[in-house]
Amino acid sequence: MSNVVQVENLRKDFGKVCALGGVSFGIEEGEWIAIMGPSGSGKTTLINILGGLDTPTSGQAMVDGVDVGRLDEAGLTRFRAEKIGFVFQQFHLVSYLTAIENVMLAQYFHSTTDEKEAQQALERVGLGDRLEHLPSQMSGGEQQRVAVARALINQPKLILADEPTGNLDEANEKIVIDLLRELHAERRTILMVTHAPSIGSLADRRIDFSHGHLVPYVAALASERP
Amino acid sequence: MFWRLVFQLLRGNRARLTVAILALVSGAAVISGLLNLDLGVEYQLTQQFRTLGANVVIAAKSVDPAPGTAHANSALMDEDAVLIPVQKVAGSNASFAPFAFIVARAQATQVVVVGTWLDQIQKLNPTWKLEGNWVSSRDDQTQCLVGRNTAKQLRLTTGSRLQLQYLTRASACTVSGIVDSGAADDNQVFMNLQVVQTLADLHGKVSLVQLSVGGAPKSIAMVAEQLSEALPQFQVRPIREVTEAEGALLGRIRLLIVSMIILILALTALCVLATMAALAVERRADVGLMKALGGSISRIVGFFVAEVGVLGACGGLIGAFLGAALSYWMGLRVFDTAISPQWEVFPVTILLMTIVAMAGVLPLRMLGEVKPAIILRGE
Repeated sequence: MSNVVQVENLRKDFGKVCALGGVSFGIEEGEWIAIMGPSGSGKTTLINILGGLDTPTSGQAMVDGVDVGRLDEAGLTRFRAEKIGFVFQQFHLVSYLTAIENVMLAQYFHSTTDEKEAQQALERVGLGDRLEHLPSQMSGGEQQRVAVARALINQPKLILADEPTGNLDEANEKIVIDLLRELHAERRTILMVTHAPSIGSLADRRIDFSHGHLVPYVAALASERP
Repeated sequence: MFWRLVFQLLRGNRARLTVAILALVSGAAVISGLLNLDLGVEYQLTQQFRTLGANVVIAAKSVDPAPGTAHANSALMDEDAVLIPVQKVAGSNASFAPFAFIVARAQATQVVVVGTWLDQIQKLNPTWKLEGNWVSSRDDQTQCLVGRNTAKQLRLTTGSRLQLQYLTRASACTVSGIVDSGAADDNQVFMNLQVVQTLADLHGKVSLVQLSVGGAPKSIAMVAEQLSEALPQFQVRPIREVTEAEGALLGRIRLLIVSMIILILALTALCVLATMAALAVERRADVGLMKALGGSISRIVGFFVAEVGVLGACGGLIGAFLGAALSYWMGLRVFDTAISPQWEVFPVTILLMTIVAMAGVLPLRMLGEVKPAIILRGE
């Protein structure tokens, strides 16, 4: 299988602080990876670099054959629109746009908008009856489902989910996890940051970070799952 | 999606944008009012200045053509040679009348007798006060007007009979009205031209032609120039005191209006700028998110440019209507005549307000510096 993500000796420094200290790993297409580790261990920095929101100090981060570190500002913008689907802990929806408009916004930046397709994406996450609702009129779980629909709408190569259930209650957490499971079953590549071992255990593999380095132990969890 | 998002931007931030639109509407209303006034005032002033009387005089080249002065008929013009071209060049835009001056005797007193078209004399001298009646026909050979001082000297009142003697010829008329001009005209007698020409044996001859030309100083000068070309054998002169006074007043009013417009544009731009600067800070999170979703800064700023453009155009349109009402009211107050809305003011006001609103784009430059990773971390 080909690697959708290939990270080689990736390093990121913020002044004198080393956020990532030369990490290397690969992710195959269709894999669901859980990134775990304590706060400040470099998880979000990794996600930001792979998502084209930040650039590495040195090393290489290849996503779908693109070396993210070599892209200029315009290249990074196109890269984010075409290759990446983001799901954030804080949902990050535009407050004055309805659910369907938030999804269409991602379409607009990618290419052209298709309202029917956006509607189908929201129906898929169980929000067919909330199309015209503003974020303030929806629960946290519903907002996160809008964010998932938005992340999927452009068929990205890589879904980056940073603590996607961190702000959800148990019921909504289950809904979002079920959605991620469905995406995984469809052979989508998912890189998920989480603090919760129970959620991390659902992934194919777990990559543990500590102080900007990979913890030598890499658990192959897929075989352990019931 | 573009306009849908722009509409949502306007709707979602309506509280803050209300301040900007109020500034734009107020600015547009005053600017539209001033522009309407600027265009209307020229017409109003030319009408008002026309009440000052004749503003162009035609005379033979050797004569000083100051109006209202008596001349020995040393330099006369052929009536047809001057009046036909005058009618052709200025007939539609001017009131005019020929004048012939003689000095005749009345009750053993010498008086200046002015022969003219009495049906035009009121138009050429709108400030004159008259006791009695105007003479309504230039063919009326029986009636005359008498200046206030002459009437007093000769003890004439309306209805009195005035006997005039010129050399061996005599003429008589009934005083139709007593003229009070406050000038040299108060010492003269006014008769129809034909009567004076017969009395002095000046058939077909005139001393002067006076015109009251409507329009701005430039158009008066233009008519004078056209008359000069049509009448090269005569002297054509605008009466500069009137046209220059009108021109100077118009110039001062225009300078005042332009200065006020510039000031109001600057103040409106500052208000929009302040509002949009506050909005730009509030929108950093949205811009960070849009960048994360793959939006280029040019496409993102495009939303905001369209937003302020719509604000400017709407503010300009509403303000233009309010300004038209304002100028209508100001016209009534200042000139006692309503100033009609000038339709060309509407697009100009809308364009100016749209340009001014674009000042609101300046603070958006800071959005180019927004780092999505930092914004999404909640910093």
